[in-house]
Amino acid sequence: MKKKLVIIGSGPSGLVCAMTAVKCGIPASDIIVLERENELGGTLNQCIHTGYLKNLTGTELGSNLIKAVKKLGIECRTETCVLSLTSDKVLTVISPKAGYVKIQAEAVILATGCREQSRGVLSIGGTRPAGVLSAGAAQRYINIEGYMPGRKTVVVGSTEIAFIVARRMAIEGGKVITVVEPKGAPLGDKKYIKECLRPFNIPFKLNHNVTKIYGKERIEAVEICQLDKKGKPIKKTKQKIECDSLVYSCGYTPDVDIAIDAGIRIKRDTKGPFTKRNFETTISGIFASGNAHYIHKNIDKIIKESVAVAESVAKYLQKSNQPKKEKKNEDNAHVNSENKE
Amino acid sequence: MSIKSYDVVIIGAGITGTMTAFQIAKYSLKTAVVEAGIDVASGSTRANSAIVHAGYDAKEGTLKALLNVKGCDMMAQITAQLGVHYKKCGSLVIGFTAKDLEKLKKLKERGETNGVKGLRILTRSELLKMEPNVSKDAKHALYAPSAGIVCPYDLAYAVAENSASNGTDYYFEYKVDKIEYDGKHYTVCAGNQKIKAKYVVNAAGCYADEIAKMIDDDLPFEIIPRRGEYMLLDKREGKAAKHTIFVTPNEKGKGILVSPTVDGNIIVGPNANIVDSKADTSVTEDGLDEISKGARIIMPQINLGAVITTFAGVRPTPTSGDFYIQESKKCKNFIHVAGIESPGLASAPAVSEYVVDILKKCGLTLRKKRSYIETRTPNGNCKLFYEMTERERKQAIKNDPRYAKMICRCEMVTEGDIINAINRPISAHTVDMVKRRTRAGMGRCQGAHCRTKVAEIIAKELNIDISEVKKFSSNSNLLLGKTK
Ligand SMILES: Cc1cc2nc3c(=O)[nH]c(=O)nc-3n(C[C@H](O)[C@H](O)[C@H](O)COP(=O)(O)OP(=O)(O)OC[C@H]3O[C@@H](n4cnc5c(N)ncnc54)[C@H](O)[C@@H]3O)c2cc1C
Repeated sequence: MKKKLVIIGSGPSGLVCAMTAVKCGIPASDIIVLERENELGGTLNQCIHTGYLKNLTGTELGSNLIKAVKKLGIECRTETCVLSLTSDKVLTVISPKAGYVKIQAEAVILATGCREQSRGVLSIGGTRPAGVLSAGAAQRYINIEGYMPGRKTVVVGSTEIAFIVARRMAIEGGKVITVVEPKGAPLGDKKYIKECLRPFNIPFKLNHNVTKIYGKERIEAVEICQLDKKGKPIKKTKQKIECDSLVYSCGYTPDVDIAIDAGIRIKRDTKGPFTKRNFETTISGIFASGNAHYIHKNIDKIIKESVAVAESVAKYLQKSNQPKKEKKNEDNAHVNSENKE
Repeated sequence: MSIKSYDVVIIGAGITGTMTAFQIAKYSLKTAVVEAGIDVASGSTRANSAIVHAGYDAKEGTLKALLNVKGCDMMAQITAQLGVHYKKCGSLVIGFTAKDLEKLKKLKERGETNGVKGLRILTRSELLKMEPNVSKDAKHALYAPSAGIVCPYDLAYAVAENSASNGTDYYFEYKVDKIEYDGKHYTVCAGNQKIKAKYVVNAAGCYADEIAKMIDDDLPFEIIPRRGEYMLLDKREGKAAKHTIFVTPNEKGKGILVSPTVDGNIIVGPNANIVDSKADTSVTEDGLDEISKGARIIMPQINLGAVITTFAGVRPTPTSGDFYIQESKKCKNFIHVAGIESPGLASAPAVSEYVVDILKKCGLTLRKKRSYIETRTPNGNCKLFYEMTERERKQAIKNDPRYAKMICRCEMVTEGDIINAINRPISAHTVDMVKRRTRAGMGRCQGAHCRTKVAEIIAKELNIDISEVKKFSSNSNLLLGKTK
């Protein structure tokens, strides 16, 4: 298959890129959006809380964007996973519906979003029982499956989603014993502390970390400890807290597995791809957008960036199509005639 | 209710027990393996360094020395037969001082007496050429080209699956608590469950002494639980070391190593601390500090920020220092395979042959089976999607579109892989069983993304509610009831 533009990821960034690309003159039939999950929308599907653009819920915003993209006639494939992307922009893609497919793209937008970091939690001492899970997994169990991953929970990490999950668990009748953050300031916006923790009297402790996990089969307790200025535990402050679950949310990192495999250079600080001013990565024709580029503060910024990325891609396609195509044909003709001789 | 009766019952489904079952399954015998845990490899076999030692460590003339060298030689054939990842990457013992060099020379001599081939002392420049990241202070090294790496639990699954395919019965969550002997048959009991056997193999690892006590026998040594802690580094660091690298051993043992794993990660550890409980596989802050320091002695620039998980295993260290593989002096036809500490993994193929020999001497008749299945399952070796070539992938997807449904992106595990693991001769019915068989959840996000999906697939495939899905044991449910 050949496509002018392949967009990997159908979160808000991927969808906005797709819509904008059409507005900039790329024919809808030349664009394809690939999504690994069963549904379009990315993380928005899990977010049943409000706070997105004019106070929509995540799911509402998602469904508005999906409707708009579909109306434009852009093909979106779900359950479709990109196995690899080469520097010549050949994608190997699998899906239960279409099987094993190769796509030759002229331009690619990486809109793969971000992942929750697991580090930090992974070096906590103690056992490895059931009941230790990421905030994203907890959110999925509660909002999508309708099950509680725990009823007496300690939360470590202070991203927005940590606060939102804490509130959700409290609303569902669970007890959130405390939220702790190893750093000296919360990772997420302070307004969430007010909105999510205070109404439920959930204590929030900065400069505290979970230092040990107890329990053989299910988690039974954690040890919490205050940290000194260097981040080392102050031993005499250790206390054991009984709980049946530990939810962690230690921040996000751009999902760049595909980019790294393709040979794109990654920046140390943002952990996302190096990009030029036009959002092009170190491989020409491959662009990065949204949280796959770097972790954005909020959705408005992601949407703004995604519009700009799609505009750049349109310019790139215009440029590369006209003069280069002729040249390529010439080259080919040359090679062909040579071969014939 | 009639009690099921077997020719041979093996207690313990670690590498020793499963490898023995694998050897016995070639013969027309009725065999059962009973295991206290929910899965194969619930004890030491699950968490260790995964090194196929060459055989220069064990004292000359010991059973350990004999079986290690032989087991190491047998590993390539068995792993090839069953499709287990194994790599003969070679090992290096590095030395920093003149005294170390003396010790390395002694090790080399010992290895040669034990029958290890190809041992060589390397100069500093040879060493640095082979391992550019090793400490610049290292001056020499003992190189053992026959040493290798293997995935210990996958090896145990492979031999267990092969034996199950050849008719061996497996009983899990069967914690033997009583053994009766009427002079002819043993009744091996776990609570109110019972099975009978003419021959019993005690391969209970750390608990072999307790099993011995059940027939009023006493092993002539004590089993001391010594825990070893580990860190596993992200695959992106996988090229940091090409060989298994040790420092020159001291009184305390082989010490902390840095090694590649067959899956492309780097493993760092273990320490060796005596613990109160044989089941204490917890990791400690101090322990992780200790192994970090040890790793930096070998490789000062190692990126320990790339740790993706930590874990620990417990060694069944015998105070006698050697493997103990003998018929019980108290009861006939009861074979102890005890004190199988390191290199118990490397030695396992040879240990199991040695056990079969003893059984034969005890009078067990060994007749080769006519229809023996060579592979893991009657359908072959169950390649995982990530291991397949492009052609195999296309074919797998054509046969079952679920092979095109990605579940764990970090390790490239598809729904097809997971369904296959659930339906194999020893069914993977918990999240951790699926994880160890398919690698789903073993990558850099450690299951943050796929664990829920794996649980959903298990629930659907086994037709149970998702709240009944366990992480690894009876009381390790992932979920605690419905939301409001
Ligand atoms: C930290 C560490 C590092 C090591 N590194 C290496 C290495 O690099 N190379 C190497 O060759 N070896 C290594 N070893 C040694 C190797 O792991 C062991 O020798 C080997 O796994 C022992 O296997 P096993 O089957 O004898 O014991 P186990 O794997 O412990 O199996 C015994 C089984 O018996 C079961 N059991 C116990 N009691 C009962 C009961 N009452 N009823 C039913 N079942 C019971 C247990 O649940 C367990 O599954 C290491 C070990 C450790 C701990």
